[in-house]
Amino acid sequence: MKNKIKSIPLSIKISGIFIMANFFSLVVIVVLLLGINSLSRRMEESYQDNLHLNEAIEALDNLQRAMTEYLNSKSTDSLSDYYSREQAFSSTVENLNELITDRTPDRMERNIKYMSEDYLQRVAETIEAKRGRNIEKYRTSYEETNRQYEYIKAYMRSLNEERFAENSVRYTALARNFRRFQYVAMSVMIVVLVGSAFIITGLTGTIIDPLRQLARTADEVSNANFDVEIPVSTGTDEVGRLNTAFRKMLISIREYIDRLRTSMENEQIMQKRELMMETHLKDAQLKYLQAQINPHFLFNTLNAGAQLAMMEGADRTYEYVQTVADFFRYNVKKLDAPVTIEEEVNLVDAYISILNVRFSGDIHYDRQVDKRLLNVKMPGMILQPIVENAVNHGIREMGDQGHIDLQVYKDGDRVYISVKDNGKGMTPEDIEKVVGCRWESDAEKGDGGGIAMDNVISRLRLYAGREDVVEIRSEGEGKGTEVIINFSLHEEGADGE
Amino acid sequence: MKKKTISGKKLFIYLILTAIFSVAVLSVAVVYFRIYTAEVSDDSYNRTFSRYYAMITDDYKSSFWQSVYGGALEEALEDGVFVELFGSNLTYNYSPEELMEMAISAHVDGILVSGNGREEMTELIGRAAEQGIPVVTMYSDNEDSDRCSFVGVNGYTIGSEYGKQAVRAREELLRLAEAAGDDAWTGRDKRVTSVAVLFDDSGFAYDQNVILSGIVDAMSKEMRNAEFEIRSVTVDSTNPFSVEESIHSVFMEEQVPDIFVCLSELDTTVVYQAVVDFNMVGKVKILGYYDSEKILDAISRNVVFSSLTVNAEELGKIGVNALVEYNEYGNTSQYVTADLVIIDRSNVAEYMKKVEEDEE
Repeated sequence: MKNKIKSIPLSIKISGIFIMANFFSLVVIVVLLLGINSLSRRMEESYQDNLHLNEAIEALDNLQRAMTEYLNSKSTDSLSDYYSREQAFSSTVENLNELITDRTPDRMERNIKYMSEDYLQRVAETIEAKRGRNIEKYRTSYEETNRQYEYIKAYMRSLNEERFAENSVRYTALARNFRRFQYVAMSVMIVVLVGSAFIITGLTGTIIDPLRQLARTADEVSNANFDVEIPVSTGTDEVGRLNTAFRKMLISIREYIDRLRTSMENEQIMQKRELMMETHLKDAQLKYLQAQINPHFLFNTLNAGAQLAMMEGADRTYEYVQTVADFFRYNVKKLDAPVTIEEEVNLVDAYISILNVRFSGDIHYDRQVDKRLLNVKMPGMILQPIVENAVNHGIREMGDQGHIDLQVYKDGDRVYISVKDNGKGMTPEDIEKVVGCRWESDAEKGDGGGIAMDNVISRLRLYAGREDVVEIRSEGEGKGTEVIINFSLHEEGADGE
Repeated sequence: MKKKTISGKKLFIYLILTAIFSVAVLSVAVVYFRIYTAEVSDDSYNRTFSRYYAMITDDYKSSFWQSVYGGALEEALEDGVFVELFGSNLTYNYSPEELMEMAISAHVDGILVSGNGREEMTELIGRAAEQGIPVVTMYSDNEDSDRCSFVGVNGYTIGSEYGKQAVRAREELLRLAEAAGDDAWTGRDKRVTSVAVLFDDSGFAYDQNVILSGIVDAMSKEMRNAEFEIRSVTVDSTNPFSVEESIHSVFMEEQVPDIFVCLSELDTTVVYQAVVDFNMVGKVKILGYYDSEKILDAISRNVVFSSLTVNAEELGKIGVNALVEYNEYGNTSQYVTADLVIIDRSNVAEYMKKVEEDEE
């Protein structure tokens, strides 16, 4: 039943409501009109009795006159007139009440009836006497009828008055009721009007409600709020269908937006990574340039020095200056593109040999490099800063006791590079700080010059696209430090090459 | 997403509400209409009767006859008969004879009529009897008529009751005179007490002589040594004002009677008024008739000495019973007496109370 109602088309529903309200008003009006009609009919009938009685009086008068006329003239015309009058009066009399009741008018009517019957009989006798020329009889008889005629007439008039008084009372009561009924009718109409207004409002409300809800939802959606709740309409009318369609549309929009958002987020992540990579590189370069003022000039100068040393036959000087020159040349050219492990290892070799000249061969340097890995690509300027850190913070104050071990090896598809010293070692907190890139910059501490570890770690992470690229191991104070970096054999693509 | 069903339930409730509202409004309107039209349509009878009696008197408006009628109607209704005070609904005043004619012509089942001794009435009673309508005369009789019964009081009894009252009234007059040292009464028993008996000239019910002899007998018996003089005064009642004129003329006489015996309600009230007007309260004793409120009031104020009355309601009842009996058995007692009641200061309060109750 409910579903049937719901599936009725909207137009029929709305017109149905209006037709129903109108029909209802019509029924009420018809009922009221019927009431008013019956009241007014009764008012019209109020004096009906009096009219009948007046007719009866007239019939009586006519009969009496006809009789007198006949007695006077004894003509055939008057006789036939008498007969018709007699007929008329007796038929009027016949209709009178003859019950003895507790109502005065009824009893008066009864008396009139009997008296009239008596009178009719006497009149007939009189006429008969006249026809039989019984003069004596018809004279006395006539007098008698005359008296009876007067009595009946008086009775009828009295009854008429009685009836009139009664009818007036009734008429007044009816008229009062009529007026009262008018007020009632008016009130009923007002009640019906107000009632149907309420019902129409309510009913259209229930029909319009889903539409209104839908509009509200649509408003919210147009304000870019896609997370609104959509009412589920079970109806299959226009609103129900609209609702369902809107709901489906909103769900598809939501899905589409979700997909779009995911892909945009991905792109953003990638852009951000590239940007950071570049930033860090720029930072490294800047730092490097700040450290080595005009390395080209320095490199050319050193080259010139090396040639001078060779011409003078100072081989060791030549070699040293050449190493220094190589070291700077690497710095000048190998920074923006991935380099091979071999180049990085060579740079470390050069750095250590420069340091050994500077510090008279104090640093013991060992390396075990898997030759197969020499051509594997990795970001530049990684190993030298790590070694520089190991020297500066690990073994600098140890004199000729300092050891640096460099290992390059493979495990699975991973390449590991380990820089191990036997210096001061690190506390777990320091390790945590360094790995988390929270170590305060050396440059600010005043012992600057090199590229900071956080720069190195950040670049490695960007390159590998992973976090666990660096591991620092230290067994405590004075027990040395090992920095192990790792990257995949095929990870060189991660930087977007 | 939260699911919400759209107002199917609401719609349903509204439809039900509409139905209830419609039915309620319509039924209220219909009920209201019914109630108010029913209130007016009360124009049909409640009860019908098998027989119909007419009661005819010359003065249906008097409270005496109204009481008689009340008693008659009460009794009749119990027997399933309706008694009508014939002519009371007619616009003109008809004489009892004319009303008799009408009643006969209207084929009533019985007639109660206050007899008046007139020949015309006797003849009409005969005509009614001829047509099979029993007639009962009440209060006063048409002795020679074909009436089936007479209900009333014996004239001699009335006379002797008045006689006894007259003696008591005289004694009181004497006492008052002695107390006042009135010379006129010092001769005491030698002083002649004058009694005036007022008779209607309209052929009054009882034989005047019978009443008079009743009074004379009673008085002679009660006061052997004293002298009294009784005269009958005929009151002209041909028109409504002549009664008062006749009575006034009695008061204008040189010697106003000591005691007035009034045989009708009207006479009593007129004499009473005259006594007041002529400032003779205490000097004249009125022996009244009937127990109307006015007369009771006069008794309690000691202007009227006592009043004689027939138990009016009982009279009516007896009359109706006689008719019913005749209708049912074809015979009834020829003569039924009604009780006489004397009202004086000793019992007037009781009657006044009764009047008040009746009014309520």
